[in-house]
Amino acid sequence: MKLSKSKGSKMPQLPMEPLVDCVFLLLIFFMISNILKIPPPFTVDLPESKARSEFARKRYNVYIHESGQVSVDDVRMADLDAMFNYLLLKKKEIETLIIRADKNAEHGVVVDVMERAKQAEIDNLALAISEDDYKGM
Amino acid sequence: MQTHTHEEQMVTERSERRAPNVDMTPMIDCVFLLIIFFMLATTFAPLPGIRVKLPPPGQPSREKPKGLILRISNPVGGSDEGVMILNNEIVSLDNAFGVFMNAAPEAKDMLIIQAGRQVVHDQIIKIMDRAKRAGVVKIGFAMVQ
Repeated sequence: MKLSKSKGSKMPQLPMEPLVDCVFLLLIFFMISNILKIPPPFTVDLPESKARSEFARKRYNVYIHESGQVSVDDVRMADLDAMFNYLLLKKKEIETLIIRADKNAEHGVVVDVMERAKQAEIDNLALAISEDDYKGM
Repeated sequence: MQTHTHEEQMVTERSERRAPNVDMTPMIDCVFLLIIFFMLATTFAPLPGIRVKLPPPGQPSREKPKGLILRISNPVGGSDEGVMILNNEIVSLDNAFGVFMNAAPEAKDMLIIQAGRQVVHDQIIKIMDRAKRAGVVKIGFAMVQ
């Protein structure tokens, strides 16, 4: 037995095709779900809160930098009118608009963004909070 | 002509034979590596957030809105927090939770936050956190003109 093995008898023929099919399916699934992660053009430090609801991760999140700069996913918006037009185009794909505002952002900008979203007939809005565990205030 | 028949013969011979044995192992290794990469790069945890309501657009209604109205002034004099006034009473972040808890149950249906433009977003989230935990159902925003 030992001898015949070391001589290099061929491996038993396993049917590989179903495995390959499965693996490709998984690959495609993970590739597509990975598209949802689009980094913003600037870093946003989200505020913390103990009270929280949960929302699905989708495309078209609004990011607000502490300087007041606004972007939708990775697309920088020159001003709020540009953002309004962009949201109007994509409004069918937006169920809940998630606003990820920096904790040092001005409230005025946040409310302006919410008003434009309302004008674009996006009624469900949410303010994102930090995903880290609540550390207390 | 002769070559043609020869080729035909070859083809039939080939189709009768089993498929050539391609070595799948390197490809499967590759694909597994990709799967592991995409699995690690994917996050499935839902996004935490606080739902907000905006009052309907258009002219503000004449009638006094029901619910609690919290006014927050712009921060002045080096402090980074604005003064908060709920029903003519100054509240702070520390006692806001108690104030919301003691509010009338019918008033707790809706909280309208009317804050100045320069108020820091963090303060708004903190007060929304207190309100949500004290049982306020909906939170809306109104702009100070």
